[in-house]
Amino acid sequence: MADIVWPWQYNFPPFFTIQPHTETRAKQLEAWQQLITEYLKTTKQSTIDIRESQNSPLFNNTEINRKLSQEAILTILDDMAKTGRAAPVDKSKNVWEVYWHSLDEWGNLIYNWACNNGMNNSVCTLFELREGDNTADQEFHGLDMNVLVKALKNLEVKGRCELMEFDDNQGVKFF
Amino acid sequence: MRRHAGVGAIQKQRLQQEKYREKGSEIQENQFQQMSKQLEVFRENLEEFATKHKNEIKKNAQFRRQFQEMCAAIGVDPLASGKGFWSVLGIGDFYYEIGVQIVEVCLATNYKNGGLITLEELRTRLIAARGKAKIHQEITNEDLLVAVKKLRIFGNGFTVVPMGKGKWLVQSVPGELNLDQTLVLQKASGLGTAWVSLSILIDDLGWTETRAQNALNHMVKEGLAWVDTQDTKETLYWFPSMFSECVAA
Repeated sequence: MADIVWPWQYNFPPFFTIQPHTETRAKQLEAWQQLITEYLKTTKQSTIDIRESQNSPLFNNTEINRKLSQEAILTILDDMAKTGRAAPVDKSKNVWEVYWHSLDEWGNLIYNWACNNGMNNSVCTLFELREGDNTADQEFHGLDMNVLVKALKNLEVKGRCELMEFDDNQGVKFF
Repeated sequence: MRRHAGVGAIQKQRLQQEKYREKGSEIQENQFQQMSKQLEVFRENLEEFATKHKNEIKKNAQFRRQFQEMCAAIGVDPLASGKGFWSVLGIGDFYYEIGVQIVEVCLATNYKNGGLITLEELRTRLIAARGKAKIHQEITNEDLLVAVKKLRIFGNGFTVVPMGKGKWLVQSVPGELNLDQTLVLQKASGLGTAWVSLSILIDDLGWTETRAQNALNHMVKEGLAWVDTQDTKETLYWFPSMFSECVAA
């Protein structure tokens, strides 16, 4: 993970213990949310499985021998969910989707790209969106399929696109 | 013959005492006048000196310190008098300016250090903020201390906490540190670890467990200390203001 710029807190041992004092905890949670978002963005991931999380250097700093407990991770993700920056995928809240852009923002990014590239009223597959050459320089390139679909559904509600299925492929038509 | 109870003698004695007292205060008065006259002369000279070397005082850190010392020695505070002669010098302005900059730095770093900053970090950031154009205006720790002390007029929002060995912390949150909390900070600073623990306070400072725990709890409550429960032995209490990576961030 050479690309990741760890914030100073990452090497600050108490950062890995949820703080009892309200104000300090607020600062701590904010710093964690930024770090998590940044990390996932850099590694192009959108999901966190809490049960496996401690294998990730994100939550386990072996150099200072500190790790974030599953309970603590849940606290942070719960907090992120309040502001729409994360959502649990399963009922037991083990697997989470983290949105480094909100679903709205993702939708807008994709829609803007579609407009700028004259894709209005034409259909493209989700595969094209995620892995096509045309989107290689876009932030949503390689985005998690589930997140992509959610963002597009969001856009569909606004009447900007329509999701469609053909064979075993999914596509989208922009308006 | 019946003798009266010596009223005359008592009155006479009282009169004498009064005379002594009068004489005493007269002498005192004289001495006082003389002293104030001397001080007046000295003050005048000092003012003359200050006008003459105004620019020097503003630019040269060492010169400035010596000037401050001279003023302090005769009880003149060049910052205290807003009107009149001293304000013309603009020496006060120099410290007010630094004062404002100190407040800015403290507010800007509050989010990470909880309102506690080492004088060293404060100085580094302040000098960086002043920009290269004024690099000749070297700011010393003494200048900062003078300026911070002036900030006290805003209440106990800004306090200097001595850490010993020429180290200082500037506290920029309301609420005074009590003696025990100051000792805790001094301990952490002295150890150079940026953290302390219950056992350190008990062993090194000879405190009871209750006393140590109270001090630590209070500092956590003030947002000055962070709790770390993952040490193998005991809970550690960390001070971000002393954590080098936080200081550099």
